[in-house]
Amino acid sequence: MIFDQIFDMINIGIIIIDKELKVYKWNRWMEIHSKIPAEKITGFPLFSFFPDLNNPRFLRNFKSVLTFGNFAFFSQKLHQYLFPFQAANSLGSNFKYMRQSCTMGPLRDDNNVIRYAYIMVQDVTDIAAYEQKLLEMSIRDGLTGVYNRRYFETRLEEEFERHKRYTRPFSIIMQDIDHFKKVNDTYGHPCGDYILKAFASMIVSSIRKVDIFARYGGEEFCCLLPETRLDSAMKLAEFLRKKIERNIFIFNNTEIRITISQGIAELKTEMGAAEALLREADHALYEAKESGRNKVVKMKD
Amino acid sequence: MNTDSSHIFSDEEKDILQEIMNIAFGNATADLGEVIDIYVELSAPSIQILGIGDIPDYLTDRMKLHPETSIVAQNFWGDFKGYGILVLPNRTGRSLIAILDDGEPNDFEMKPIAGQEREVLMEVGNILIGACVGKVCELLNTFVTYTPPQVIHENSNEYSSFVDSFDPSQTAILMETVFRFKAIDINGLLLVITSQEAIEWLRKALYEFMEPYE
Repeated sequence: MIFDQIFDMINIGIIIIDKELKVYKWNRWMEIHSKIPAEKITGFPLFSFFPDLNNPRFLRNFKSVLTFGNFAFFSQKLHQYLFPFQAANSLGSNFKYMRQSCTMGPLRDDNNVIRYAYIMVQDVTDIAAYEQKLLEMSIRDGLTGVYNRRYFETRLEEEFERHKRYTRPFSIIMQDIDHFKKVNDTYGHPCGDYILKAFASMIVSSIRKVDIFARYGGEEFCCLLPETRLDSAMKLAEFLRKKIERNIFIFNNTEIRITISQGIAELKTEMGAAEALLREADHALYEAKESGRNKVVKMKD
Repeated sequence: MNTDSSHIFSDEEKDILQEIMNIAFGNATADLGEVIDIYVELSAPSIQILGIGDIPDYLTDRMKLHPETSIVAQNFWGDFKGYGILVLPNRTGRSLIAILDDGEPNDFEMKPIAGQEREVLMEVGNILIGACVGKVCELLNTFVTYTPPQVIHENSNEYSSFVDSFDPSQTAILMETVFRFKAIDINGLLLVITSQEAIEWLRKALYEFMEPYE
């Protein structure tokens, strides 16, 4: 009797299902969050209420629990949730569904024979929201809001690996704002910060969602373009160069114009590491600067 | 390595355990195929008594099978207590997707490679370790509880803290088998390590297992 009370009072969802996946027990937490009363679901197949659970992964784990008596873990990081319950608006996060960490395990009778499986559902939306915020903070540049160098380098490595497996093309553009020191010296650092922010947001609005644009350091930026060959990257860079050149940035009623130099490189199979691609783009950028700035220079063939 | 281990586990006890493992791992292989369509071959398991302090060196030695390896580790506890460790060549996660056959290729395409590999390694590790430990438990008439599996990459901080977690003053019984997935040419190592505190129970359970045959 005491355990029955705990079963209903505990702040965790508990479901017990039989070998045919019919619901045997459904605790109050599950009633509240699913809005399905126990008497309505008890004795009925779980899949008729939650058809999305009828997938190979859930079934494989269920069978494994019944056969081997092991546990199955459905972490929120990998699965997000098993049961689509409405999420409380945690920390301003906009998760559509409650993030859940779920465990499935065996329940045995007195003869040690597995008769049922239980599923425990824990609401981890708050933790997931914290994680999401931390993750955002760790991959974004604090000033401009675009990706930071570390994230760029991670994605570059991943794209490099993808290229090795599928030989898909990709290119990068390295950009540097010309004479940026002069902007800072003439108009002050707040203006310099404003230019960096406005410049970054102009670039973000001009590239695809799949492209990764990052502040590489100071006034240097980098753009990773998946599925893009050198000539297409050149066209994009030229478009961006003109767009920036024509734009008038206004800070405290002062009109400011800037230009950018850009170096372009495409990954070649003979490049043994992702850094080689960065080096090529950096050399091209150096050449663009040396040959008069406000230019796009591609890597040497 | 500690060679004089007879005071911990006699040759007879090792033989019984060997027999139990042969049956258990055989059953696990059969059920993995029949019930969840994961077809694996397990080699005849071997048993060693090791100081826990020797396990990191032992692992390093066994991991030389492949240039880079990933480990899935999981603790289990009950009367029978210890760790299950699965050693796989690095970057096998992608190939393992083929044997899981979830029909969700697009889903996997969308996620970063590292995340996908972790996900698959964790699930396959959880099932393989659970199958082998579970079948040993079934024969010894007990059951255990598991911690969530952990994926640990060699040459990472995770690996050094995993290795540091071993208490060198303890002794362990290490059961080892080489497994191979039939559908894909990948083999790895499965280790079940019994903690010292469970050895006494294991000894009793072994003799109870033998009673009907004597």
